[in-house]
Amino acid sequence: MKKSTLKLLDKMQKVDRRIIYIIVAFSIIIPLLIPFNSKTYVTEPTSNIYQKVDSFAGDDTKAVLMSFTHNASTMPELFPMEVALLRHCFERDIKVLTICWLPAAAPLVDYAINQAKEGYDVQSGVDYCNFGYKPYALRLPIMLGMGDDIAKAVETDSQGRKIENLEIMNNIKNYDDMNIIVDFAGNSSAIQWIMYARAKFGANIAAGITAVMVADNYPYLQTGQLLGMFRGLKGAAEYEKLVDVFAAYESDKFPNGRPFSKEIINDTWVPITRDKVTYEVDGKMIETDADLQYKFKKARIGMNAQSVAHVMIIVFIILGNIGFFLTKKKKKKIV
Amino acid sequence: MFETISNFVAAFLTLCIFSFLYKDNPFYKFAEALLVGVSMGYAIPLLFENVFMPYVYTPIFLDHKFIIIIPALIGSLYIFRFTKNLSWLARYPITFSMGIVGMGIPMSLHSSVLVQMRSAMLPLASINITLIFIGTVTILLYFFFSKAHKGIYGKVTNVGIWFMMIGFGASFGYTVMARISLLIGRIQFLLGDWLGLIK
Amino acid sequence: MKRQIPLMIVVILGSMFVVHTFVPHKISADFFDWFQDWIKAISPFAILLGVISLSMVNGTKIKRKAPNWQYSVVTLIGLAFTAIAGFVWGTQTGTPYMWLFKNVQMPMGATMFSLLAFYIASAAYKAFRARSTEATVLLIAAVIVMLGQVSLGAMISKWIPITSKWILNVPNLAAKRAIMIGVGLGMTATSLKILLGIERTYLGGGK
Repeated sequence: MKKSTLKLLDKMQKVDRRIIYIIVAFSIIIPLLIPFNSKTYVTEPTSNIYQKVDSFAGDDTKAVLMSFTHNASTMPELFPMEVALLRHCFERDIKVLTICWLPAAAPLVDYAINQAKEGYDVQSGVDYCNFGYKPYALRLPIMLGMGDDIAKAVETDSQGRKIENLEIMNNIKNYDDMNIIVDFAGNSSAIQWIMYARAKFGANIAAGITAVMVADNYPYLQTGQLLGMFRGLKGAAEYEKLVDVFAAYESDKFPNGRPFSKEIINDTWVPITRDKVTYEVDGKMIETDADLQYKFKKARIGMNAQSVAHVMIIVFIILGNIGFFLTKKKKKKIV
Repeated sequence: MFETISNFVAAFLTLCIFSFLYKDNPFYKFAEALLVGVSMGYAIPLLFENVFMPYVYTPIFLDHKFIIIIPALIGSLYIFRFTKNLSWLARYPITFSMGIVGMGIPMSLHSSVLVQMRSAMLPLASINITLIFIGTVTILLYFFFSKAHKGIYGKVTNVGIWFMMIGFGASFGYTVMARISLLIGRIQFLLGDWLGLIK
Repeated sequence: MKRQIPLMIVVILGSMFVVHTFVPHKISADFFDWFQDWIKAISPFAILLGVISLSMVNGTKIKRKAPNWQYSVVTLIGLAFTAIAGFVWGTQTGTPYMWLFKNVQMPMGATMFSLLAFYIASAAYKAFRARSTEATVLLIAAVIVMLGQVSLGAMISKWIPITSKWILNVPNLAAKRAIMIGVGLGMTATSLKILLGIERTYLGGGK
């Protein structure tokens, strides 16, 4: 090996960490500034949630319960999931209830609802209800209490109204009337829902989790204890696409969204660089009148940067290892 | 205008935190100290409005359920945690939170052990089910430390290590994804909400 | 007695909860209703621990003029101002309290964790070495899973997402299940120890 090559390898091994930081920053900034269309493949853990939520569209005897167990630190991953799920519910006339367990989660619930409901004719206490913040210390008693009577366990909503008097609670008493419960968290808090709401009352549970926790939760997916799982930013991107393709779809035959179909989701792409929702099927573009708003494609735009960043990390691992092995070889020769 | 100033403050504080990447500095220290104080200060009124008022004030003063005075007094014993002679009084509110672990025994045994074992004992009808079975058993054997990992037993537990390494690899892959996602969120804020470069 | 009575309360409450899990009798339901009311009234006072502890630590630092004591002043001002803002102007959207959350607490909290992206990239370059066969297996699994999550992986080869899915559904599942069974047994054992009064560390030190 040439001396100059060895010198370069040595230099590369000792590169300042701040240069690596700059490369990381650019690998994310550039794809965000110059968005491109990439395909979002929908996987089963996400589509299972979609199908379950959608199965009671327009049915006022069932509701979706969203449990927020996170603060702003994991918001970039979890917030787009929450907005996408709320949008699905508003789009398909599904009752939705929200509750949060950390003080810092309380405004996040409001932000998510406000962002999703824009443009929809929905009303608090009728189509959705935010139960507000309940302290984590009361999580188990409330979780167990909701199995018998939600109004009694939760008592008041975020605006201080008695829950039992709200219109949304007509026909909704306990977990039997819950379509699905989705817990959004950056830790393993979904396990508590599995342990108590699932095991004791048979509720359907799904988890919206940060990617860090995904691999750990696979056993619950296989056993069916978790009906589905949003897996980090990718899960959010998948749900955004599902809502665009099915719930937000409008035609003469389906004026309020169309039912889920595996074939349609596998063959349809929604280019994110367009301002209008456009369906790409077999290379043909079908543009609709609906706006493809930034807030409803944020996760998919983020996944572009994610692609580039993953490649960069892999290149870092490979380069680091090449340098390591060549230096090791050189040292052996000297000995 | 107000929105612009607000975004500027948020962006400035974001950059203060990022400045730690260069090296520890007064801007970072200031932001860190402010974050700790504001986070704690934020929780106090929220707890007062959402927990103290509906669960303590309303039952006692409006509904006249005077029995609630007892748990309220027990709760206020937390304050003695910081005294030298009466710190033992703070044990009482803690005991009420600990009591519920009684329910955790059957529930965690059911969800994390029994259901998982049942799913691990499926008929070995496919290669994947067989692999899951082998992996689960060999890892459980690996964590059995009462027997030395030598000879055939050592080889069996070695198989468990391989399964674990793949599992940890998967976790690592997802961890990278998670961390990058968080950074994407912040850069989307800086470029989009603050500078208006993403629409 | 200072330890015995709290221990007895835990043992009695814990045993009643075990019974409550299996017996859907009216007495059991009434017990749970009583517990709900009491624990709800006890819980708001827990924040006192955090507020007093933070104030004491920072107050002492200021008093002793410890290194960087000025930042403790920032912490205490932040704490007092935010809390007062919440009580004076309310906690609804549009108040100074919510402004502080949205423009001070939220961006800083989110940024703090995003720093990890830089550290993980630096570690990928400087520390993740295939020093042994096991480490190599770990790295290969990680690379496949990373590529399997992004569209680029499917563009390189259709086998990448398929292999990634298999890794997660088979070897990863086996590994995590075995660990989960171990953790589940550990949780049960710890809960039993608390219930039987063997585990007492949650009561703190002293007599």
